[in-house]
Amino acid sequence: MKNCDAIIIGGSAGSLDVLLEVLPLIDNGIRFPIIIILHRMPGSDHLLSDLFASKARLTVKEIEEKEIIRNNIIYLAPSDYHLLIEKNHTFSLDHFEKVNYSRPSIDVAFQSAAEVYKNKLAGLLLSGANADGVAGLQFIKKMGGYVMIQDPKSATVSYMPAKAQMEVEVDMVLEPANIAAFINQLSKNKPS
Amino acid sequence: MKKVLIFDDNEELLELCTIILEEAGCKIKTSSNSDNADQQVIDYMPDIIFMDNWIPNISGIEATRIIKGNEATKHIPVIYFSANSHIKTLAKEAGADDFLAKPFDITDLENMVKKYT
Repeated sequence: MKNCDAIIIGGSAGSLDVLLEVLPLIDNGIRFPIIIILHRMPGSDHLLSDLFASKARLTVKEIEEKEIIRNNIIYLAPSDYHLLIEKNHTFSLDHFEKVNYSRPSIDVAFQSAAEVYKNKLAGLLLSGANADGVAGLQFIKKMGGYVMIQDPKSATVSYMPAKAQMEVEVDMVLEPANIAAFINQLSKNKPS
Repeated sequence: MKKVLIFDDNEELLELCTIILEEAGCKIKTSSNSDNADQQVIDYMPDIIFMDNWIPNISGIEATRIIKGNEATKHIPVIYFSANSHIKTLAKEAGADDFLAKPFDITDLENMVKKYT
């Protein structure tokens, strides 16, 4: 992928360890935003973003309503809200009903991002125990974007990436140890 | 190594606290229920206890009262945590040594361990 304008990452059960391995290795100076949607219970948002911030070289922010999306920031979707990306490159948070038993839903966020970033979006689906994210990856692909999954063999809970592998034309299957280097390379690939 | 026992029914919070405090050099045990709270404490004999307000099957307040009422466990500091600051007085009356308002950050958590162990 030569011209990535955003990376969106979805994860559920078993994805925390992967992110704690990946985030410290992402270069400061990344030339796109990194948007993370995790299935989680309300009540631990602040501690999670603080933990990520303590590990990452670049700024970690918990997403706020109407926030302008900027490059070189790791954005974390808050629990209990769906995450939407607006055409003017701002975030929107919505409390509508759960999708795939989830709020935030990875599918909702992936589809919304794909509508805005189209073929300049890269989506990555990590470990998880339900099918949320698979339809989102399909939509990213349909819009011309780049689709990546964590290697199901490496996932603590393989269901989510394995289902994606069966149902989506995946561009790249990544071991956790290779994810950060791949993201860094996507940034380097981007024309000045 | 400092031993920490955390009572909370939010498994994600337990997972995060475990990661953070293990990195700080502590040994962690977590519990998502308050059944026989004093016996759980006796079985592990931690240096500090973190107690959430909402835990099955009795409240954190009652569990704190039981721990602080047991001769074998009453010396162990109990840090009460809740998103509801109105609980602070009740927690103190039940015997809690300190109160950590949710949401808290890594430093808040580590500082409580440093202060009481």
